[in-house]
Amino acid sequence: MNKEKIASRTLVIFVVLLMGMVAVPSATSLPTGVAGVKDSGCNCHGAVVSDSVVPILEGLPETYNYSEVYTLTIGFTGGPADPSNINQGGFNLWVSDGEITPSDAAVQSWNPNEVSHTDAGNDQTTWLVDWIAPSNDRNVEFILHVNSVNGNAGSPEGGTSGDEWNRLSIQVASPTVILEQANPYTVLTTLIVVSFVLLLTVLIFIFYQNNPESFDWENFAPWVAGWLTTTDHKRVGTLYFLAGFFFLGIGGIMAILIRIQLMEPGNDFLTQDQYNQFFTLHGTTMIFLAAMPLINGAANWMVPLQIGAPDLAFPRLNAMSFWLQPVGAILIFTGVFSGTGADTGWTGYAPYIVSETAHSGTTMWVAGQILLVASSTLTGINFLTTIAVMRAEGMGWMQMPLFTWSILIANLMLFLSIPAFGVGLIQVYLDRVIGTAFYDAASGGDPLLWSHLFWYFGHPEVYVVIVPAFGIISEVIATSARRSVFGYRSMVYAMAGIGVVSFIVYGHHMFTSGMDPTLRFVTMLTTMLVAVPTGIKIFNWLMTMNGGSLVYRTHTLWALGFLVTFTLGGISGMFFPSMAMDLHFHESYFVVAHFHYVLVGGTVFGLFCGVYYWFPKMSGKMLDERLGVLHFLTAFITYNGVFWPMHRLGVWGMARRHHTYFISVDEVRGVDGEVITEAVIGALPPEAAGWNMFITVSAILFFFSNFLLIINVIVSLIRGKDAPADPWGGWSFEWMTESPPPTPSFGRFEHGVWHDLPTLKDANEHIANEPSKLGEWFNRLMVADKEEVEN
Amino acid sequence: MSGEHDEHHHPSAWGPHHWDHGAPHNSWAPLVMSIGFGIFLFMLANAFNKDVVDASYIPLVMVGLLVVLFGLIIWWRQDMSFDGTYEPMSTGTPFKNIQIRKVGMWVFLMSEMMVFTSLFSTYIRYRTGIENCQTVFERGDWVEQGYTLETGEALICFEPASHLIASSWWHIAPGAINTFALIVSSFTIVQALRYASKPVGEIDENRRKKLVTRYLGSTWLLAVIFLTLKMVEWFIGFYVPEISFLGIHEHDIKSLVAEGYMINADHYHHHDWVDPVTGATMLADISVGASTFYVTTGTHGVHVFGGIVGLTYMTLKASRGGYTPKNAVSIEYFGLYWHFVDLVWVIVFPFFYLY
Repeated sequence: MNKEKIASRTLVIFVVLLMGMVAVPSATSLPTGVAGVKDSGCNCHGAVVSDSVVPILEGLPETYNYSEVYTLTIGFTGGPADPSNINQGGFNLWVSDGEITPSDAAVQSWNPNEVSHTDAGNDQTTWLVDWIAPSNDRNVEFILHVNSVNGNAGSPEGGTSGDEWNRLSIQVASPTVILEQANPYTVLTTLIVVSFVLLLTVLIFIFYQNNPESFDWENFAPWVAGWLTTTDHKRVGTLYFLAGFFFLGIGGIMAILIRIQLMEPGNDFLTQDQYNQFFTLHGTTMIFLAAMPLINGAANWMVPLQIGAPDLAFPRLNAMSFWLQPVGAILIFTGVFSGTGADTGWTGYAPYIVSETAHSGTTMWVAGQILLVASSTLTGINFLTTIAVMRAEGMGWMQMPLFTWSILIANLMLFLSIPAFGVGLIQVYLDRVIGTAFYDAASGGDPLLWSHLFWYFGHPEVYVVIVPAFGIISEVIATSARRSVFGYRSMVYAMAGIGVVSFIVYGHHMFTSGMDPTLRFVTMLTTMLVAVPTGIKIFNWLMTMNGGSLVYRTHTLWALGFLVTFTLGGISGMFFPSMAMDLHFHESYFVVAHFHYVLVGGTVFGLFCGVYYWFPKMSGKMLDERLGVLHFLTAFITYNGVFWPMHRLGVWGMARRHHTYFISVDEVRGVDGEVITEAVIGALPPEAAGWNMFITVSAILFFFSNFLLIINVIVSLIRGKDAPADPWGGWSFEWMTESPPPTPSFGRFEHGVWHDLPTLKDANEHIANEPSKLGEWFNRLMVADKEEVEN
Repeated sequence: MSGEHDEHHHPSAWGPHHWDHGAPHNSWAPLVMSIGFGIFLFMLANAFNKDVVDASYIPLVMVGLLVVLFGLIIWWRQDMSFDGTYEPMSTGTPFKNIQIRKVGMWVFLMSEMMVFTSLFSTYIRYRTGIENCQTVFERGDWVEQGYTLETGEALICFEPASHLIASSWWHIAPGAINTFALIVSSFTIVQALRYASKPVGEIDENRRKKLVTRYLGSTWLLAVIFLTLKMVEWFIGFYVPEISFLGIHEHDIKSLVAEGYMINADHYHHHDWVDPVTGATMLADISVGASTFYVTTGTHGVHVFGGIVGLTYMTLKASRGGYTPKNAVSIEYFGLYWHFVDLVWVIVFPFFYLY
């Protein structure tokens, strides 16, 4: 075996080990595993655990009564403690629920869950504390550490020699029999580990399927190495899809945990702190680690195929863009399992993000995002260059398929806006790490500057994730309606218009930050302007169907579903530019409903549509239509069940980013114990509880309905029908190659020249070529192709 | 799954690469470099916590950088064999018959432009939004308000680094030499391109190798001088001896850090900030201004460092006779970046050093 092969294999093992290393600390750093005083045996004197020390904890009932106060006697016998010494012992008592309070000066409280002795309590062997039992059903655990001390603390030998300690654990049952409550971290970790293992199993199974005879390490390592080192746009695209769907699942799990918490008023499944981390990571994961990779996956696969290019312009940079993402993802998730994940919200508003009170995982969240910014920048270079320079002979700007146009515009928006975010992130990273003062309000830093940098990027970003979906829908509706898309030019100008307008609307995210009323008015108008190009697109799609004859395939259904949900999302979006409404709806569930209608009902539905549309091309296998339709129906119905009621909750005033809510029939007692129900600020009408339960049930159903897609994909990979080159009757270049396409996708490179690259004449042109007045003017800006001049 | 093709096409993911077949199909570099960047950022955050430094993490920061370097070496091993065989040209309007990689470089510079624009936005926001320290000092009401060295209370104001740097010719000397060095390096890189792209026959090949290496090497050297002088200016300072016949007097030029101009300087006082009447010294929290200065010029410095890394490889390649008229355009791609870094300095210099 030569040196390079050995090195490759070593690196494969290294990568696998690295993944293991990432998983292991996550597993051991679960909250129950975090080393605290209650586990390590306190900072007791003497390293010796001794059975001769017998801890005593008296006064505990078998089962407690709600909120009753119990007086507990803590003590110990045995060990080197001697009444003749000044110091005799100490203790530490930790309780899982309820509250312990010291009853005299010999005991001090660390926090409601933990008490210890004081200096004054050093010379005792028994102490008294009060325990207030919890007001709800809990199985309570007590962990007591006692330290028997021989009193040589002042001696020159160091003072702790010969001391001994021991530990006692006692359970107190709740008044009624209850099931043990699930720990959200355990749920999250288990699900992530399970999905990761499933993913690996599927990968190994696919390897086995490819060639059952060669199923051994000798062949497996090069196969894995081939995927780890690939620069082929199709393989990188597949990697993007894998990563994207994996994180879509993780984000989904977090959404489910959040929904379980909000299932009923005043629920305590998640603590406030856990809730903050979960919604932060849910947002970050879904936008940056699910939506963007899925879009990149589709773009990687389809853009070179659609423009007749052999590959992207910079294949190695493309691989680099991909690999920065999983590494960034690991950094972003650092800390969440040990309870110190980022808790800033996906917007990471300053000054909280640079404050000491923000969790330490926030630094890593920022670091991970810096890598994602680098990744997006490289992606931008690649796609902008590819689309600008590698189009097939004869394919002018106005002959490009609309999906390619959408990727061009999305990347242009992203490319011009993401450096601002990157710079902001680096400033925050430096603020947190080396102590610069960009957002430190105490030193004159301006937190609003962060909002500006963030939203200068953030608003184009939300169009970056929706515009590719527009492209997919345009392709799918045209193909399904068996005609060219209606108003191709207006589609292109509409997307370009969205691209331009996206940069001047971001102020609407900051209406409540006290901005200048004049600017508010301007942003209000520009934001409303977005509805114009978007409306043009919607009507063009409708007209395309009007003039064609629709074939109902799964992807057609998704496209129709997209039209409904995206339009609804767009309409609810028109409430926000209006300042008066914005001030009312700000930070409410109405906002949550709106952006989930456009991001899930728009982006995710569009991507599902794209997956159903292009899967035969990508894999060479047909998907099962029946499973597909079932997926669409279940997902579409449950999806609306999740997000439609949120509008109503928002109007009622349910706040987003709050870990719980109360309804107005909840009892709230004043200081004297009298019921003061009306005084609950922000309490929702009683129906809100029912709606929230409905949303949670729908969310769980929606989550599981998407497994139909995964099942469909796996089943089709194993025993799907072979796909023809053009199963749907599409016109653009990608349908000309085989399914799956060869590598390089088109042509061959010999002696420094590409041969046999396709030209536009090879494709069945389906794009209107009519030069409009505006189009002529636009064409004049471009250096014309020789062929174009001759024509 | 697609592309069993790759295996017999390009077996080596480590390089060197056979460019007859087109761009590399397999490479370890992206994965390795990404992991390296991850380790670097993770360990850096562990090593520093504002004022506290945990030195035990510094070696691990270095490990991250070494992994990045390892990935970079793989990348370079693949590129070392690049002889211009694979230089794809643009096929469509508006870039017809321009090298694809050149277009890519211009697109990249577009994003770089936005990076520095964002940094300048930060600068403009703070420069215009926070009162200048010198103005506050001259107004004099800080004495009654008690922002003095004696009370230990610091007032927030914007202290541009130019207040120290532009205070004398000696202080500005490193920056001035740097400006000159960068402009000259823009010239040397063009000379390297010129000799590399002279048609075969017009120039002796050995002479071409020598000249290209020499010019790339001088560009490298000028970039190193730039960073060295920057370190002198920031951290080290320098000493000027008494040379009486030139009229030069003895000076001990302190570095910015030695003057107390640090990113977290929340109790800073300039040596001139003494009230003539009461003799009190004004105390200011200047961390915002200092952060802006160090991060903006530092980002530029990182770009110069990136240039040095690239030039190291290119000089090495040139010394092996790696540049011929066929692939001389690679030097032009680097030159585009280098001119951009130069131009940014031309804007950074007046804004941060003079004004």
